[in-house]
Amino acid sequence: MNAGVVRLGPLTPGLLRFGLLLGGLLCASSCCFAQAPAVPPAAASSAATVTPSAPASKPITDADLANVPVPSADAKAKGDRDGSLTGNAGDVTVSDAKKGLTVGDLVNQVGQNKIALNIVWTLITGYLVMFMQLGFALLETGLARAKNANHTMMMNLVVYGVGMFAYWLCGFAIQMGGVGAVANLGGTAPLSAEFVVNLFGKPFGLFGQHGFFLMHKGTYDVGVMVLFLFQMVFMDTGATIPTGAAMERWKFSSFVVTSFLFAAFTYPLFANWAWGGGWLANLGANFGMGKGYVDFAGSGVVHAVGGLSALAIAMILGPRIGKFTRDGRPQAILAHDMVIVITGCLILAFGWFGFNPGSTLGASGSGNLRIGSIAVNTMLASAAGLLAAMIYMWLVYGKPDVSMTGNGFLAGLVAITAPCAFVNPISAVVIGMIAGVLVCLSVAFVERNLQIDDPVGAISVHGACGIWGVISVGLFADGTSNYAGAWNGVNGSVTGLFYGDATQLVAQLLGVATLLGVVFVLSFLFGTLVDAIMGQRAPARSELEGLDLPEMGSLAYPEFELKSGN
Amino acid sequence: MVMKIVGILVAFLGFVISLASVALGSNGARLGVIVLGIVVSLFGILGILNAAHLKYAIWKTGAGTE
Repeated sequence: MNAGVVRLGPLTPGLLRFGLLLGGLLCASSCCFAQAPAVPPAAASSAATVTPSAPASKPITDADLANVPVPSADAKAKGDRDGSLTGNAGDVTVSDAKKGLTVGDLVNQVGQNKIALNIVWTLITGYLVMFMQLGFALLETGLARAKNANHTMMMNLVVYGVGMFAYWLCGFAIQMGGVGAVANLGGTAPLSAEFVVNLFGKPFGLFGQHGFFLMHKGTYDVGVMVLFLFQMVFMDTGATIPTGAAMERWKFSSFVVTSFLFAAFTYPLFANWAWGGGWLANLGANFGMGKGYVDFAGSGVVHAVGGLSALAIAMILGPRIGKFTRDGRPQAILAHDMVIVITGCLILAFGWFGFNPGSTLGASGSGNLRIGSIAVNTMLASAAGLLAAMIYMWLVYGKPDVSMTGNGFLAGLVAITAPCAFVNPISAVVIGMIAGVLVCLSVAFVERNLQIDDPVGAISVHGACGIWGVISVGLFADGTSNYAGAWNGVNGSVTGLFYGDATQLVAQLLGVATLLGVVFVLSFLFGTLVDAIMGQRAPARSELEGLDLPEMGSLAYPEFELKSGN
Repeated sequence: MVMKIVGILVAFLGFVISLASVALGSNGARLGVIVLGIVVSLFGILGILNAAHLKYAIWKTGAGTE
């Protein structure tokens, strides 16, 4: 022990036991998982039973704490080379200097440390998700022709600002305005008003009502700000998906308006139903359907919503000039830079380590230490998707196609996003492998059978594999997770068909039906409205010239001489 | 235009059918009704709505290729 530190003596074991017991109780009392509505107190108290029992000891009093030693000023003035002097009882905030350190101060510090850890975790993972915008930008731009590179990059940049603005105005309030207390973030109590109607004799939450401008009804709150940041970058991930399916022909002004509507209404509505305490999340509590619709990090909420919006826009726009011959046969339109395509894929995979583990909205308490399992499942599924797509293309077409291997990589990530918190590693690999093959089949089906032009495969990667991810929760959830003993207000662990609960699959399928029958329909109606008012498609002359000059006024590569068609 | 409206209505009808399943007591019946709703929605989107768009597809009309 460093000579500058006064020995703690016999008090230390007692303090340690007290700290452990207090920490355990505080962690167990956190009842809410952030992407889901609050859990009833009964469920929370059940989690307390897992706290290791400590031997009976004499209660610690304020008098005991008064004798806890701290390093002397002289010792600290010499510098703390081994770190043993920094961080001690002297750093605990004292509410009353005259009284000195009290048990109350200690308890408050433990509580604040837990919430601080969760807030820092959520912010940092949110920053990782924000970085995915760059991944999307590079992936899409690389797959575009050089004459559209500026336009594609600009869409990926502007969707961030437009989406955020719309989400700040009303999207966040619609999504999370009625979520209730998110205990991992210390409460978020102002988000307490959900608009509810009664259907089939049960309450159906439709949209939140608090949080407009992040000022309305007390939402100028530290926990709410963290939740906004994290949910905003998720929404923006969804909003950027249609830009890939619609690139090289989407009029920029129409893209701005359509993206605004997505961020303000389309995405927040479904996200409220799934994550904001809405009716899908409560299918378990109200109708006995498993634990309600379960979508941990958003295979459905983010990716299927984005993918189905991409499908709606791609239908409205129609294919690029030259994509199909007069008899309807698809023609390959080559990407201009596969290097940045794969760079984009790898950036996305990196960001996914924020996307999935970050969706716990905390690292401390409430079963959140499962973040390790979530991260490993995420990486395993991506590898399985990559390998499955590569092998499939190799066997069927004779070469391991680069862009489809990249799509398989992303397909595995998209599919594992909903189930990552509830499945074991073998299931994660199976889910990823199925996604890797599914994306290859889906891309071919969309292009050849539906004759829809989707330059990056967004409809297949995010739409088809997002839906597969939602369904896979209902099949593979193994019932071993324990996020404070309940999910969506229903006691127990999320369990799928293969582990004995068929009702969870029913809830998941009702979520899929909602995605197809409501989210797609809403996206199509908004897209058609914008088309009728201002036209969605760029003029044919601009498209043939490349959208960079007519729409943006500058080329991405001004020194290059572009050949006809590129 | 009429077929586009029909397509979007059929897609929404599929959701209504699926939602109605919550009124049923049996899990198997719920599963069957929801799957039926999903099939109806997919038919509305891919079978009717997409076909309506393809009728005037740019590669059929030859627009922009002259």
